[in-house]
Amino acid sequence: MIVLDKVDKVFPGTTIPAVNQVSFQVDEGNICVFVGPSGCGKTTILRMINRLVEPSGGDIYIKGKKVSDKGVNPDELRREIGYVIQQIGLMPHRTVEQNVSLVPYLLKWPEDKIKPRVKYLLEMVGLDPEEVSRKYPYQLSGGMMQRVGVARALAADPPIMLMDEPFGAVDPIVRGRLQEEFLRLQKEMKKTICFVTHDINEAIKMGDHIVIMNEGKLVQHGTPMEILSEPADGFVKDLVGTDREIKLLELTKSKEIVKRTDDIPSEVWEKDSFILAIDPVQRALETMMKKDTNIVGVRDETETIGTISWNDIKKLINKISGDQ
Amino acid sequence: MVFFSAILQWFTNFYDKNLGFIAFIIRRWEQVVEYTYNHFTLVITVMFFSLILWISVGLLISRYEKLANTAFGIGNILFVIPSISLFGIFITIPMLGLGRTSAALALILYAMMPMVRNVYRGIKSVEWPVIEAGRGMGMSAKQILFQIQIPIAWPIIFAGIRVTVVMITGIATVATFIGERNLGRFIHHGIARESADMIIAGAVIVSVIAILLDYILGKIEYKITSPGLKRE
Repeated sequence: MIVLDKVDKVFPGTTIPAVNQVSFQVDEGNICVFVGPSGCGKTTILRMINRLVEPSGGDIYIKGKKVSDKGVNPDELRREIGYVIQQIGLMPHRTVEQNVSLVPYLLKWPEDKIKPRVKYLLEMVGLDPEEVSRKYPYQLSGGMMQRVGVARALAADPPIMLMDEPFGAVDPIVRGRLQEEFLRLQKEMKKTICFVTHDINEAIKMGDHIVIMNEGKLVQHGTPMEILSEPADGFVKDLVGTDREIKLLELTKSKEIVKRTDDIPSEVWEKDSFILAIDPVQRALETMMKKDTNIVGVRDETETIGTISWNDIKKLINKISGDQ
Repeated sequence: MVFFSAILQWFTNFYDKNLGFIAFIIRRWEQVVEYTYNHFTLVITVMFFSLILWISVGLLISRYEKLANTAFGIGNILFVIPSISLFGIFITIPMLGLGRTSAALALILYAMMPMVRNVYRGIKSVEWPVIEAGRGMGMSAKQILFQIQIPIAWPIIFAGIRVTVVMITGIATVATFIGERNLGRFIHHGIARESADMIIAGAVIVSVIAILLDYILGKIEYKITSPGLKRE
């Protein structure tokens, strides 16, 4: 869907490239998270995709079409790509409704199509259209502004979304909620999303695919599991943090390590220690501690499918930390 | 009854001492009307051209930053030239001479500093993320200017316009020395004849014009400015 081919960016007046020979691709319907310290070039990459910044070298393709082609008008290109930034940038002189309907107006949608669309979008991001439509941005809380920002980016139903620390400006509790809501939306929307963050936990939570950047270079890319279990070098290891085993427990679904068997030990029945197949492995550990046991049963929607033992969890952890 | 006549007495005294200019205005009514008309139309003419010229210049330098300091420098220099000499310079220019054209041109130059500066400051007051979001969503430079920057800058631009109107109304009195028959003439002649009533009559009418124009502009500003910018 989005392909970067040896993309470089050297800003005028500097010699060190902000982005250095970066190539990767984002598949349709995936969330690709760019993570790295500030100044690593992740935001620049995002802004090159919608041509807010022009690359110094290399090519960027969207759906096989080169974005830097002469026939592509940057303004029209951007109307087809949702854009959310940390500072949100709501128009202070316009109501929530006018903010959300900005792109549809730019695309000259008929009026009678815009109104219901705005209402639908506001409901979708968890706001009450009756309550907020006529409000101005200064009357909203930080979390509400972020939601409006997301609704605005989704307004014209763009297949691609670029999100630059979209939940960065709100407190951790609201952030967690917004992340979960967004993931829920994404399940239905199936947008192709490029997401920038400096928070590795957010990256692991949100990403189907993670691109780790440092000093303009792509250091590693892969699924969150790959990043956690096989960090490419010391930088990635540091970024991922010393608690990567715990993160792995949060990330791994029980069904991925369940030992499938019909032979459930009686201890499991006696102590009623069951978890769901879609629960993270962490839940298995919690249950073991709570019920003072070292084996739990795993159920899917209808039946018991197998067990996870203390040793299974140890094996999972050893797999990634065995080399330490 | 005693009380009432005391008040009347006090008021008559007050009137004789302080409000003689009202009698003057009534006595010289036709002249007052003529001078006020001339004064008012001069200010309106100057404002009309200043708005077109200086708002354009302000917008231009907010886009081409390199020109900004030059423009501010020119504006400042013009602003510190004593008004009487600026009027004087204009009448020495052939084709212009004494009269309204010279007066208007000098006043337009005076208006440069407060207007250009405020337009620039207003446009620059628009926060970066708002522009970035506008660009990122595919607004053209023109749409960003007219739909984002100018509407958000309105209160600051208007502050500049209002200051300018009040200032121009005042300085216009000096144009009497280059042949403008306006309210400055009352003040000038009043000084020459040591007539306080005449000076006050001129000054009060000038003030009323200034306050009136400022008030009207205030109303317009309130109408135009988005409620989203009027946070309390």
